[in-house]
Amino acid sequence: MPFTKINSKMVEAQILPGQRLFSQRGAMLAYRGEVSFTPNIQGGQGGIASMIGRRVANEATPLMTVEGQGSVMFGHGGHHIHTIDLSGETLYVEADRLLAFDGTLQQSTMFMGSQGGVMGVIRGQVTGQGLFTTTLQGKGSVAVMAHGGVIELPITHQGPVHVDPQAYVAHRGDVRNKLSTALGWRDMVGRGSGEAFQLELSGQGTVYVQASEDKL
Amino acid sequence: MTAMAGGPVIHDPHTLPVDDNVNPYAFSVELKGQWFLQKGKMIAYYGQIDFHGIGHGRLDRLVATNFHSPLHAADWVVAEGQGKLLLADRAYDVNSFDLENGNLTIRSGNLLAFQPGLALKQSIIPGFLTLIGTGKFVAASNGAVHFVEPPIRVDPQALVGWADCPSPCHHYDHGYMRGVLGGLRALTGIGGTSGEEHQFEFVGAGQVLLQSTEVLMPETATGGVPASAGPGVPGAGVPGAPGGQQGQVPRLPGQLGDLQRRFGL
Repeated sequence: MPFTKINSKMVEAQILPGQRLFSQRGAMLAYRGEVSFTPNIQGGQGGIASMIGRRVANEATPLMTVEGQGSVMFGHGGHHIHTIDLSGETLYVEADRLLAFDGTLQQSTMFMGSQGGVMGVIRGQVTGQGLFTTTLQGKGSVAVMAHGGVIELPITHQGPVHVDPQAYVAHRGDVRNKLSTALGWRDMVGRGSGEAFQLELSGQGTVYVQASEDKL
Repeated sequence: MTAMAGGPVIHDPHTLPVDDNVNPYAFSVELKGQWFLQKGKMIAYYGQIDFHGIGHGRLDRLVATNFHSPLHAADWVVAEGQGKLLLADRAYDVNSFDLENGNLTIRSGNLLAFQPGLALKQSIIPGFLTLIGTGKFVAASNGAVHFVEPPIRVDPQALVGWADCPSPCHHYDHGYMRGVLGGLRALTGIGGTSGEEHQFEFVGAGQVLLQSTEVLMPETATGGVPASAGPGVPGAGVPGAPGGQQGQVPRLPGQLGDLQRRFGL
């Protein structure tokens, strides 16, 4: 696991020769040793096609490649940082929440509509994910940013977990999600509870929730 | 932040900590005598405390021995008396540090208060202040402070200060602007920059203080060097705030300018 937590807003990553790390541009706080930071035109892995895909999908966060030998400290914007270790599962996360991730992870872009068709698209609009979201798959670690601390909620077959779309950060595992609405006549007359839309996640996995309803 | 279960903790003059943090964002000073404070950082006090601006008056002697930054005089006051004084700054993390016959240089906006055992001087690095002597001082940072030891290269915005080690130097890194593609990138600006071309490099023995984010605290007047300082004084004759630490890449000759911005790259 390359990320060591220094405090709630700062992580340190060990960089070894031959290993790559991707990180958001400008998120480096300090480093030791000989480490180079190369801006990544493609915004991540894959070739030109992936780059165009990300551009179109608006999931193109400026990334840089970190290589060399040494250790790097990352932090960004005063956001809390949560590290997630993946061992083969897929993590679904918004690209702009990614602080840094292992180069060993497969990065790709997913169309929200591919999970639930039109409802998936609507869900993406409500959660602020947009039409597309980023997935990371493989073995490695990811550092994600969140406003306020992050809580991990396990999703089991015993029942779904409901999350406020604005507090949703990421999820992983074999999870189906759908938007559940609790719209009633009160919402129509402007006396709603403000919790009319919820994200309902079911299956097997984990959902990461931030302790705030602020977007990044 | 642990004893929050039963609601807010209620303090009175006797239960307030002595020269210690009340919570991560507020600091309580037991005042017996004098402390220097940056203006506007006092949020509450108990007891008999007077606040004097720094200027001509009966504090002349104290100011003359402990305050050597005439440009900052307007930003500082002396608290004098007996009591408990609470300090805070825009909900940033606040910490106290002890110096023993030491020296520490800190970003001027981050320093909140210090004991008169310390002498405040303007650092030769614009925007920084140096404290020399023995005593306690209180500083704010955006996120908790992390101590590291040189050799290290630090993002200029993440630097809070440094103690005992020599002043830093600039480190520029354009390693990726090599070769044909690198030249094209430098020429057109396409592909953007990593934002990490410029660091402060520390060497030698000492400690470097980092804050957890690269979001700078809104800077209070840092005070330049007076233009009248004369030749040989770094920064003299350059009026205006020395705020150009934004990690700008120097424009290479022949560069077309910020084309990337026009293309949205």
